[in-house]
Amino acid sequence: MRSKLRLTAAVTVALAVAATGAACTKKNDTTAAGGGDAAGGTAKVAFVPKLQGIPYFEAMNDGGKEAAGELGVDWLYQGPTSADAAAQADIVNSFIQQKVDALFIAPNDPDSMAPLIKQGIDAGVKVGTSDTDAPNSARELMVLMASAEGIGKANTEALMKAMGGKGEYAIVSCGETASQLNQWIDEIKKYQTANYPDAKLVDTVYAGEDVAKATQMATDLMNAHPNLKGFVGVCSTAGPGVAQAVENAGKIGKVFTVGMGTPNDMKKYLQSGSASAGVLWDAKALGCLTAWAGLQLAQDKQFQASQPVEACGLDKVTYDSSTKVLLMGDPLTFTKDTVGNYNF
Amino acid sequence: MSTATVHDQPPTSTKRQRILAPPVTGQEIVLLGVIAVLWLVLGFTTPAFMSAGSIQPLLGAVAPIALIGIGMTVVIITGGIDVSVGASIAVCSVIIAKLVLVQAGLGLPVAVITGIVVGGLLGLLNGALIAYGRVHAIIITFGTANLFLWLSLKLFNSSTVNNIPDTLAALGNGSAGRTAGVPNSFLITVVLVALAWVYLRHTAGGRHFYAIGGDQLAAQLAGVKVRQRILIAYLLTGLLVGLASCIVVAQGSNLGQNVGTGKELAVIAAVVIGGTSITGGRGSVLGTVLGALLVQTVASGVTQLGWRSELSDLFVGVAIIIAVGADLIRERARRKR
Repeated sequence: MRSKLRLTAAVTVALAVAATGAACTKKNDTTAAGGGDAAGGTAKVAFVPKLQGIPYFEAMNDGGKEAAGELGVDWLYQGPTSADAAAQADIVNSFIQQKVDALFIAPNDPDSMAPLIKQGIDAGVKVGTSDTDAPNSARELMVLMASAEGIGKANTEALMKAMGGKGEYAIVSCGETASQLNQWIDEIKKYQTANYPDAKLVDTVYAGEDVAKATQMATDLMNAHPNLKGFVGVCSTAGPGVAQAVENAGKIGKVFTVGMGTPNDMKKYLQSGSASAGVLWDAKALGCLTAWAGLQLAQDKQFQASQPVEACGLDKVTYDSSTKVLLMGDPLTFTKDTVGNYNF
Repeated sequence: MSTATVHDQPPTSTKRQRILAPPVTGQEIVLLGVIAVLWLVLGFTTPAFMSAGSIQPLLGAVAPIALIGIGMTVVIITGGIDVSVGASIAVCSVIIAKLVLVQAGLGLPVAVITGIVVGGLLGLLNGALIAYGRVHAIIITFGTANLFLWLSLKLFNSSTVNNIPDTLAALGNGSAGRTAGVPNSFLITVVLVALAWVYLRHTAGGRHFYAIGGDQLAAQLAGVKVRQRILIAYLLTGLLVGLASCIVVAQGSNLGQNVGTGKELAVIAAVVIGGTSITGGRGSVLGTVLGALLVQTVASGVTQLGWRSELSDLFVGVAIIIAVGADLIRERARRKR
């Protein structure tokens, strides 16, 4: 009986290995086929989001597709199903193997992506980042939605408007090592200290990408600081999370929140008053700009400091040649009156 | 028979000597003590830890973990494990939120029943594969976890579920979700834990789970329907995941595709900290609730004290290691007797 058991186990493991192998091969086939269709004269621009399937990146994909139709670019979009650096690296690798013309990445782990970016450039692919930068890499362009200063200012202004310019507030973020989020937090602090000296940041906590945890931590912060008057939720799960906490505690009108959630996620909270404003940017326009920038790179065009864009509903964007950053503009601040204008 | 030393006895008489663990085990008393001390200390060192506005949400956050923990305790007692519960939460909650509440606009009873049925089906699949496939539970549930994850991503279809109506407010963390000041979700948990505690301790069916975890072959020879019992353990976990998913959905008005991520580890942590032996054969649902309560107390305490968030991970990690270590020491002591 024991040997039978062992046999069963061995067979199962073998099957599992075979199945995994098959799955991998299949996945690569699909991407290869996706690239194969593109054989033609048009530039192939690929974008690898942090993860596929969340509304924010899907909106970027919509924008990219739209630009593709307008500009005659072949737009390829594929990301991992979870924000996993290794799975993302596989996809980036497969796009490099396909020799796409331009490749944009929103890296989950900027530092571990750097060697792969180098590899892509060596293979003749124009590699850039979009949404999230890999500052210590050889990337040839960064498509940035809004400057950290702009985001810090927009969040602080929106919150201080609701709080009356003074009082205690706290920040709820996602990952403690997310350098972009930390940069925004620094800018919020800086802007608030300079412009609203009567306000005070009492704590910054990290809830991971978990709405329920953000809610619970915001609740704990309200208990720890009875005079707390405001929250900034600086990532897409923390924005709705802090608003939910205010709603649960029945403190609408006493504690104010501003969140960086998507308009669809923030809508209900803006309407109930538990969130005063949302701060984000037009993800669709960012996707579109990414596709457009990819075409420019593929055609070896140089960017100008004030660069006109003939697509995406964008007038002009700015380019900083020392950092190679293409900046889309100021972030959007949306309230209950304007949240309906966006659909992502 | 009673005077002879244990190791000279056939297994049946060993069983008879300690057929029932004490109603409250040593580990549970220690946990109760630690939680009581923490609550007291936090009550004095923070402005509002011991207030209703702090304890109510804490209990609400414990509820889904402890509920699934009941099933996970039974599974681990049989010597198995279920690492698919996080993905099962994703499947159940997206079905409840998207199909039942948003698209069909149906009421709370339908949502709860749907959740439980879907969860039950997922649990049944796990149970059938493990009971009849005779491959270790961690491999099977790891496989089904990926399968369930795929299913949930298909159902989410690349969009967040928004504008979930507050149909399930009675299970949520708002004022509509409380009876006499206690969150309904926690009351449900307490009732189910009590039922499970009595069932596991005082019925033959309940004792069979322990027998399987202690020695599967011996249990089989003693007439325990091993496969059927194992199937029931995973089915039960699935049913509870369905119910817990209703609570998860009730906690917000949006549902993203990362719902449930990592929750299997939170549940297993609660079970292990609660004193259930990871090798099977021993454990109790009371300990699991206390384990979940301790983890959430630590997380809330760290935030309310203004300490850095990552410290709660450190404390939970230490608690798990101490709990497993204590279990190994007890196990060794038992063998020596």
